Amino acid sequence: MRGYWITWGVLLVVTVAMLWADTATVPRLAFVVFMVATMLTKASIIGANFMHLRAESAGIVLTVVVGLIVTAVVLFVLIAPDATRIHEMVNHYGPR
Amino acid sequence: MWWFIVTDGLLFAGFLASYGYGRILAFNWPHQAEVFSLKYIAAMTFVLISSSATMASAVHAMAEDKRRDALKFVVLTAIGGIVFLGMQAYEWSHLIGEGARLVRNPWGDASFGAYFFLLTGFHGTHVLTGVVVLVSTAIRLAGSRSTKDGVEMAGLYWHFVDLVWVFIFTLFYLL
Repeated sequence: MRGYWITWGVLLVVTVAMLWADTATVPRLAFVVFMVATMLTKASIIGANFMHLRAESAGIVLTVVVGLIVTAVVLFVLIAPDATRIHEMVNHYGPR
Repeated sequence: MWWFIVTDGLLFAGFLASYGYGRILAFNWPHQAEVFSLKYIAAMTFVLISSSATMASAVHAMAEDKRRDALKFVVLTAIGGIVFLGMQAYEWSHLIGEGARLVRNPWGDASFGAYFFLLTGFHGTHVLTGVVVLVSTAIRLAGSRSTKDGVEMAGLYWHFVDLVWVFIFTLFYLL
């Protein structure tokens, strides 16, 4: 049971680090990379320790990781260029 | 339960991808620090993370056949969920009072309110469902009717709710 409370402490420390980064003056790209990295770290910690994913079979782990993270990334990567193009067009030609 | 988590997670992934789309399109997305009290959101996060730790402890206690401890931790987790819901209700009423609506808001891009209410509302509904599951698990535990698997399933769902909040907290409130 002690392990769960250590995990809890680690999650709180990571959350405080994220809040600190939010107030710090850092370049936008570095900020985004840091936030996404810490977000994925927190998600992995919760999945591995609280949801006991590390004790599950490789099939379950792959299904969850591929099913969720990869699909979400692919979804975003597929639609993000469209949004960027529309944003640039509106910026260039002005709103309708 | 894993299949449910993956399919439900895909729904949230779709919402978050849609939010990313809207965010790139927007020219004047509100600065979160001007809209939200990040200390308050951090407190909500603290409550949810703590409730995840108590839920994991409940599953562990149940695995060791310590039913009384498991019941104590499940009740603590349900209280954490209720506190989180109360805090979210306060946040919603505060923002609605300041003029936030699905189609407009006083801070910037019109879609901000829609994404805020959709993401936090859908997550809040999951928390509410989780609280109902936890209360029912606690009642069954008190009557010695709950099984180890029952507590573990409730735990998996609750950790999933916490996991989704990690993404909403980072992508909506911080980035």
